[in-house]
Order: sequence, then C-alpha cells, then structure tokens
Amino acid sequence: MMSPMSLRMSRVATGVPSALVVLCLTLFVSVPLYSMVVTAVKTDREIYDDFTYLPKQPTLVQFERVIVRERFMVNLRNSLIVATTSTVVAVLMSVLAAFAVVRLRFTGRIWIARIILFKYLLPTSLIYIPLFLVVNNLGLTNTLQSLIFTYLSFSIPFATWLMMGYFRGIPPELEEQAMIDGCSRLGAMVRVLLPVAAPGLVAASIFTFTGAWNEFLLALVFINRPDLQTVPVKLAGMIVGDQYVWGMIMAGAILASVPVIALYFLAQRFVVAGLAAGAVKG
Amino acid sequence: MATGSSQVTVPAGSRPLPSAPRGTLHQREVGLGWLLLMPVLIVMLILVVWPFMTAVWIAFTNKSIGREAEWIGLANFAQVVSSPRFGRALANSLIFTVVAIAMKLVLGMAMALALNQAFFGRNFLRAYLLIPWVLPGFVAYMTWRWFLDPLQGVANYALTDLGLISFPLEFLSSPATALPSVIVAHVWRSFPFFGVAFLAGLQNIPSEQYEAAAVDGANAWQKFLYITIPGLRHVILVVLMLSTIWTFNAFEPIYLLTGGGPADATMVYTVLAYEMGIVNMRLGEASAVPVLILPVLGMFIVAVSGLMSRDD
Repeated sequence: MMSPMSLRMSRVATGVPSALVVLCLTLFVSVPLYSMVVTAVKTDREIYDDFTYLPKQPTLVQFERVIVRERFMVNLRNSLIVATTSTVVAVLMSVLAAFAVVRLRFTGRIWIARIILFKYLLPTSLIYIPLFLVVNNLGLTNTLQSLIFTYLSFSIPFATWLMMGYFRGIPPELEEQAMIDGCSRLGAMVRVLLPVAAPGLVAASIFTFTGAWNEFLLALVFINRPDLQTVPVKLAGMIVGDQYVWGMIMAGAILASVPVIALYFLAQRFVVAGLAAGAVKG
Repeated sequence: MATGSSQVTVPAGSRPLPSAPRGTLHQREVGLGWLLLMPVLIVMLILVVWPFMTAVWIAFTNKSIGREAEWIGLANFAQVVSSPRFGRALANSLIFTVVAIAMKLVLGMAMALALNQAFFGRNFLRAYLLIPWVLPGFVAYMTWRWFLDPLQGVANYALTDLGLISFPLEFLSSPATALPSVIVAHVWRSFPFFGVAFLAGLQNIPSEQYEAAAVDGANAWQKFLYITIPGLRHVILVVLMLSTIWTFNAFEPIYLLTGGGPADATMVYTVLAYEMGIVNMRLGEASAVPVLILPVLGMFIVAVSGLMSRDD
C-alpha cells in the first residue's frame, strides 16, 4: 500500500510533465491563431511596413475592405445557400435510409450498410475527376446547383451512417408499443423514434453543414466565376491578386470561421455525442 | 447484424406483431425498406457509380474538353505509371502520410494523457485545443501560409527576434523545408482529432485498473504500457486507419500552401491529378489516376469498415 505522501509525490510527478505538455500544445496551437487574428485587425502599414506584435491601432478596416471591395457577402451567401440546401436534402434522405437499414428486415440491408460506410470513407479527392466528367456532361459547371447536388455524395453516406448509429442505440420496443397503440411503421418513426433521436439529428445536421461549408476541392473544380464562388475558393483566389491582400484574407478567414465555430460550441454536447457514436465507436 | 452498439442487447429488427399474419407484414417491410432507401440509392448511383464508370471509360480514351473521346487502350495508364512526376508524387504522398501520422499520434496521445488529469482550466483547454480541428481546413492552411511568409510572416519575425535565425527562412519556397512545413501545418490542423478520440477512449478505461496497478507498485510508464495502450488499442487502430485514408488523399494542405512546388518538392498524387485533368485538360490521363489508386485504397477501406462495424 502506498503512503499518502508517496501518492502525492506520484501526483506531482505526473503533474509536472502534464503541465509542460499542455503548455507546449497550447503554444503550438496559439501562435498561428494569433497571427491570423492580429493580422486581421491591423492596417496595411502595420502588416507590411512597421511590424509590431500587437497592433498599435486595432482597426476593422480589413473587414470593411474584404466586404466592400471583394464583395465577400456574396460569397458568404453562396456558401450559406449551398451548405443549407444540401444539408436539408441529405438529412431528410439519410433519416429514411437509416431507418430502413436499422429497423426494417429485408435481405440486402447489411450490404447497403456496408456500401454506405465504404462510400463515407472514400475520399472526395478520388472521385472529383469522375464527378467533374458528369457535371460537365450535365452542363452544370458554374452553377450552385452543381455543388448542392455533388455535396450529397459525401453528406448522405456520412449522415446515414451517423443516424444508423443513433437508431441502433434506441430500443425498438418504444416504436412497437406505439404500433400496438395504432401507429403505422412510419408514424411510429416520426412520433416516437425521431424525438428520441433528436440529438443525433442535430449532430448529423451540424456535421453535414460544416462539411459543405468547408468543402474546397469540388468548389474549386466546378466554379470559376467570382460571384458564384463559395467562400473557400474565393479566399484562395485572393492570394494571387495584388500584393497587399493578407489583411483582407485573414479578415475573410475569420468571417468564414465564425459560423462553424459558433455551431460547434453552441452544440458541443451533441457534437461530442455524435463523434462518439460516429467517428470513434462503430 | 454485426454492427449493433455494444450496450444495447435488444434484437436488431423488431418482431412482427403477434396477431398480424407473418408473411404479409414481412412483405410490407421489404417493400417499405426499399422504398425508403430509393432516394439515397438513386443519388448514389448518379454520384458514385455513374462517375466511376465514366472515369474508367475515359481512362481508355484521349478525351479532353470539347473533343470527342477516341479509344487508345492502355496508353494513359502506361503514360501515368512511367511518368517520373507520378512516381515522385506517389512517394511524396507516402512520406507526407507516414510522417504526419506519426506526429499526430505522438501529439494526440500527449494531449489526451495531459487532459485526462484534473487541473484548473482543463475544460477550457479541452475546447481551446480543438480549435485548429474545428476551423475550416482552408482557413487553417491559409493562416499557415501567411504565418510562414518569408517577408512578413510572424514565424520569421519571432525566430529572428528570439535570435534563432539571422535571416528570414523561405519555409514554403525552398525545396529542403517545403515538405516539412506542409507536414507541420497539417499536423497542427489534425492532431486534435487524435487527441479527442484518445481522450474519449481513456475515459472508458476503468480507474480500478490503475489503482490495482498502483497497489502492485507499477510506475507510470508500466501503467501506460500495460493498461493504457491495451485499453486504447481499438480506438488507436481505427483512428490511425481513418487518418491514413484522409492524409494520403489530402489535397487542400498542399494545394493551398505550395501548389506542389517548389519544383515538385511537395507534389502529391491528388494535386498532380488536378494539374493533369483540370488545369491541362488531359482528362484521359487524369481519370487513369483514380482508376489506378482505387483498387488499393478500396481494399484498405474495406478493412477499416470491417473494424468500424465490429461489435466490441
């Protein structure tokens, strides 16, 4: 048996390295973030001519420039349209599919589940050239519809798989009871299963929205008109513009991050639950 | 079904109602099942199956935009496989993947172990250290591109002021430092995912095991080796394999930081395929790349999905 003294010693022994690790990781995470934030609130003079670690006169002029000069609101609107529409469509379709695979008994459902997981794991960078051929054939290049539609290729498998995990964790007896009381199969799903699975729906919606909001490769390949570009491609395109663009770009990067970070922290408990149900545990 | 959650022991499908005639109800379930799956199946057919069949066909032709495709057999595959650029890109993809994953594993484990201790401000730090992973990828990489800027980047100012360098480093535009810099930026962005996953796994290891080991006189390293690692085995395996898929197929970090340069020092296969297909419009060759990669990657994905569908 260890004495209280040596127990305390061993706590100190693990405490010091832990503190050091936390300190180093915090520093590693913070320095680039600091660079982003501080650049966004500096004037061009303080960014390019007399560098200071902290802005002498913090200013919102970079935000103003990116919004007025680069018409960034148009791109934010494009991103919002694409992400919202594809999320709504994907989640609706995914709920039905996940319900079918988890609750209804028919041959082939195990295979469907496997194929959905396979597609979820298949990276977009492997299918964008095939997708480009199809979008091109359909004459959809340079439309927001091309993104709304092709984003379903990753959001449906992901949302379906996440919802399957949720539905499995909910005992079917609840729905059976509702059916004995006169509900139909679908009625039981809508009235009994979905309310219980609401956190899963929130998590699936947030992840799907975020995935579409952040998507870069397909947006880069399908759209080249600045007024139709979504936020990621618009910002990346600004790099090659004139020289003094980084203040604007960092301001735009912050504007682009706000919705995602806000969603994440507002719904953290759902997201962590979703992560546990989806990404880590099968 | 093999993919049930471990805690729930109820049968996967629901039983037919006692009074209902078995066959009819079952048939109705089959019909309803396929009906509910229909939208997803149709969309997947259009967005996955059709594109891949098109790509396989195009890979055997000399198709480019605005020109009819002409059958040229295996010429595209021969061209891609024998091209030194493709070999270089594949090698870079492998180096990028192996080095980045090793670093993510170490940092993620350190983060999880440190945050599993109780200390003041832990909950705040748990959320804060996740920020690079919560940020959009393009934001993370553009931030790093500016951070590492040779003239005005904070990295060069700070290193100079700390006396560590006497002249600014061209992190992303010199061949020696470009790939390491891209790897560090990518690790920054994705190690928190390893951290949260491992942390969730740590919290599932019963503390009695550690107490028993302490009674037996085990030191911290022995506890880590004989309790923590075995307890995290499944999580580590799944996270490693998932991250291998994502990292090997990463496009954004390289495209946004270096575009594959300088002189192909950071060229990976995804960016090369983009250059061939989208920039140079050689769609036949570009289509040959995914057709070549898919069989290998596909087998890997099947292995991962098997692990992720496991019951325990």
